[in-house]
Amino acid sequence: MSEEKLHEMISELQERLRQGKIGRREFLRYASLLGLSLGAAEALASCAPQPTPEPTPTVGAAPQEPTATPAPGEPTPPPAVVEAKAGHMLRFNPAVCTGCLMCAVACAEKWATEYFPEETKDVVNLEFSRIRPMRSQYIDVVNVCTYCTLIAWAEGSDKAPCQQVCPEDAIIVVPEGEGKEGFTGMGYMAIDRDKCQGIDLCGRCLEVCEDQFGSGISFDPIEGKSQICTMCGGLPACVDACPEPTALQFVPLMTNGRYFANPPEAYFELMYAKIFGKRRDL
Amino acid sequence: MAEFKGVTGKIARVDLSSGTVSVVETPEEIYKKFLGGSALGVYYLFKEGVVEPSVHPFSPENMIQFMIGPMNGISPNARSVIVTKSGYNFICISTSGGRAAMELKFAGWDGIQVVGKAEKPVYLAVIDDNIEIRDASKIWGMDTQQAEVEMRKSVLSPLEYRESILRDADLTPEWAALRPVKRQGIGAKRLASSWVIGPGGENMVWYANVITEGARAHGRYGSGAIAGSKNLKGIVIRGTKGHRLADKAKVLELVREIQASESKDSFWRSYGTAGIGASSANIEDSFPIRNWQWNAWADPANVKALEGPFMDTASFVKQTACPGCALHCMYLAEVTSEDELMDGTITDMPDWEAMGMVGGNLGYLELPGAMPDDSFTGDHWDLVEFQAKCQHTAFLHDYYGMDYIEGGSLLGLLMELRQRDLITVGDLDGIDLQWGDIHAVDAIMKKIAHREGIGDVLANGTWETAKYFAEKKGKPEIMNYPVTTHRYSQPAHDTRGFDKDALEYVTVARPTAHTGGGGAGFKQADYAAAIAGQNAKSAVDSLVYCNFAAGHWAGKTAELVKAATGWTDFAEEDLGKVGARQYALCRLFDIHTQQLTDPKTEWDMLVPHRWFNDPLPTGPAKGQVAYDGDPSKLFDEALPAYWKARGWTEDKGIPTAETLEELGIADIAEAIAAQHR
Ligand code: SF4
Ligand code: SF4
Repeated sequence: MSEEKLHEMISELQERLRQGKIGRREFLRYASLLGLSLGAAEALASCAPQPTPEPTPTVGAAPQEPTATPAPGEPTPPPAVVEAKAGHMLRFNPAVCTGCLMCAVACAEKWATEYFPEETKDVVNLEFSRIRPMRSQYIDVVNVCTYCTLIAWAEGSDKAPCQQVCPEDAIIVVPEGEGKEGFTGMGYMAIDRDKCQGIDLCGRCLEVCEDQFGSGISFDPIEGKSQICTMCGGLPACVDACPEPTALQFVPLMTNGRYFANPPEAYFELMYAKIFGKRRDL
Repeated sequence: MAEFKGVTGKIARVDLSSGTVSVVETPEEIYKKFLGGSALGVYYLFKEGVVEPSVHPFSPENMIQFMIGPMNGISPNARSVIVTKSGYNFICISTSGGRAAMELKFAGWDGIQVVGKAEKPVYLAVIDDNIEIRDASKIWGMDTQQAEVEMRKSVLSPLEYRESILRDADLTPEWAALRPVKRQGIGAKRLASSWVIGPGGENMVWYANVITEGARAHGRYGSGAIAGSKNLKGIVIRGTKGHRLADKAKVLELVREIQASESKDSFWRSYGTAGIGASSANIEDSFPIRNWQWNAWADPANVKALEGPFMDTASFVKQTACPGCALHCMYLAEVTSEDELMDGTITDMPDWEAMGMVGGNLGYLELPGAMPDDSFTGDHWDLVEFQAKCQHTAFLHDYYGMDYIEGGSLLGLLMELRQRDLITVGDLDGIDLQWGDIHAVDAIMKKIAHREGIGDVLANGTWETAKYFAEKKGKPEIMNYPVTTHRYSQPAHDTRGFDKDALEYVTVARPTAHTGGGGAGFKQADYAAAIAGQNAKSAVDSLVYCNFAAGHWAGKTAELVKAATGWTDFAEEDLGKVGARQYALCRLFDIHTQQLTDPKTEWDMLVPHRWFNDPLPTGPAKGQVAYDGDPSKLFDEALPAYWKARGWTEDKGIPTAETLEELGIADIAEAIAAQHR
């Protein structure tokens, strides 16, 4: 990208931030997507005075220190617990992952027991898993939602693509500070199962994901409703189950997840090329 | 149908002649007797009459069974097993790791039995209950790796497949203007697993095998040739039903304990079977070198080429595991070599059998002109070239879908026959097969896989090849050189050094298997212990899980079976009985299908001449031969004692009527046994 174009885009972002159209966090994410260092982005954000400080999210379980009103132009300090998890993502390393599927078993069990305790009391079924390690000729690729969002100035929305196309508003973004009891209070996506029409009638969420991003959504084998990784609200069961150090991690990655998204076949082929230095159809 | 747990109670029977699929329901008491996998497969060979000599291995009447057991699915280390009548006309029980076994359980099956013969090449597509016989003309002729990729892409479950319904209007206008919907619908996931044969199986090379995931093989006894004889290219499976368990919480608890124990197993977690080559085989004087003329290098420096850490530095790129396994014994490699033929070859490891049989055995580990007795005078790059040759030869076997134990032994035989001037370069269609020559190996393997020229003879394996040349050349001494027991090649463990007792190879139910169990018992002539080991291993192949993990399963296996199946009265001793049944049936199978009248001379005594007659020239066992060079100690003393301990007749090794009765298999076996006693 030319420097001029970059400058133009940054100015546009600053303008949106000034108008309150995007939040400070989003500004930082977009700016870093455009290649700016975090320090530079912070400096630029400070040049765009915020209309009002973002409200501090409240976290169910964790008590917080009351936060002082921040001086204009300074970042809003988020509550400690949220700070630990917000912007965290699942990251996997295909060079270390052995494809053992233990992550998938942990995830499947967690959600099967949550939604279908009766039906699954005597069955273990990987179809309930939101994370599916896939294998093609020597390459193991862990398939899971990467938390993509659309880019507002280009695509007219800053929602997740799946959320944007869902005709029933069944894909919900639980904001930071809210959500299930026992979760850490980080923001996450979830499916409103009452609203979801399922793969038989709809499935637009997965279709758009596969059309342009990855293949991060699956459907449960009982009702055929959409399943998406909730990052276990900050305490990922899959990461706990993984036996290979560094194969699957939960790490702070303050960026748009589409940075990591690839459809399975592309991922296989790219990884094959990376590991073995050759192109082949997979 | 009864509600089954652990197993599904359903086996698919596919008749390729009529193009029909039916469901075989097995009663629960049969599962309790045979569990699944190998033992259940052998049971069906009897029940369906495949044991009869009239059923030729390559005839449509033969049945090839892809079997799994109660542990497949959620348990770690699960494997599949193929049970059929081998092209060598003996029992074929051959296991492999990989995901397909798990997937088959998830699809709701305990096995797939294939009979008949398709008119044109086909493959089976299994999506849960639905089994389709599909045209394979586009993938027939493909190597194992590419055929698998094509097959896997073609199978998607209704959970991940749908035509397009998304329209640009579902997007924001800006987004739709930038990137309109491609209307490809849903179908990007790749969750199916498969078993496949290569050109070797298609051309019915007797030792062709069935491959999965590029480099995992149901390695031995030629199951690929049987699939090929039926025009069956492969099976691809996608299952969405999960694994039904009687006590899910207990199973998961045991599974986690096994996995936690495996996570601390630094032996397997560090380069898998590469721990064997240097650290035991060369030291036990059991490393196959030049068709077993040597079992150890005088200079241990040669072995460095095949040590785990060395290979890891030179060529390993990544470790990979079977479902639920934390041992990840398999390492993928990209070959480094100065030689264009090999450089950049993408393969796995070599694992130990490959290091032995298509490594040392082919003279790959000496510098040009050097002998195994010489000091090693090269450097690390020479070692890298040794390794490359071994990897490339293993790769060729996987690529064509052929057993590299039998294949390596065959190539070693031919090289030795050339060394001794017993055959000429003309006998091998002008290919000058000399020790260490990877290019000659490459050329001859192409001929074998396609049965071209002399390849048509070699494709029938080591022993038949020796017989052919012995007759053709009028040189009976050629029969001194095939290192085969029961006409099938010995794996990379010898009986003259400190590795194996010869009786283990003579008695193991899967001919000349190196993983039959009971090794320590045989070495101490404690036949009760040896038999217990063999029986336990047969149960492992029936459940079906991986022997490498057996230590981590120890003491938990029966508990797992119980928790998975809900058979509350199941106990550890029952596992042994499953093995005893399998052994009795396999023995009868081999005798009956070959119509042996004197099994001892016609079958048991078909062992390598080398065992008794060629003392080891180097290493700690220098000068040693098996059984002090006295075959009668093995066949007239040890073998009858072993048969007796099994409850078999002492002259022919036929299970007695009482033994069959006690094992509860008289109904299927006594009529046959009575013909041979
Ligand atoms: S974070 Fe939780 S929901 Fe997401 S893949 Fe892992 S176990 Fe499943
Ligand atoms: S548990 Fe870890 S090593 Fe196993 S498949 Fe998942 S990410 Fe890979």
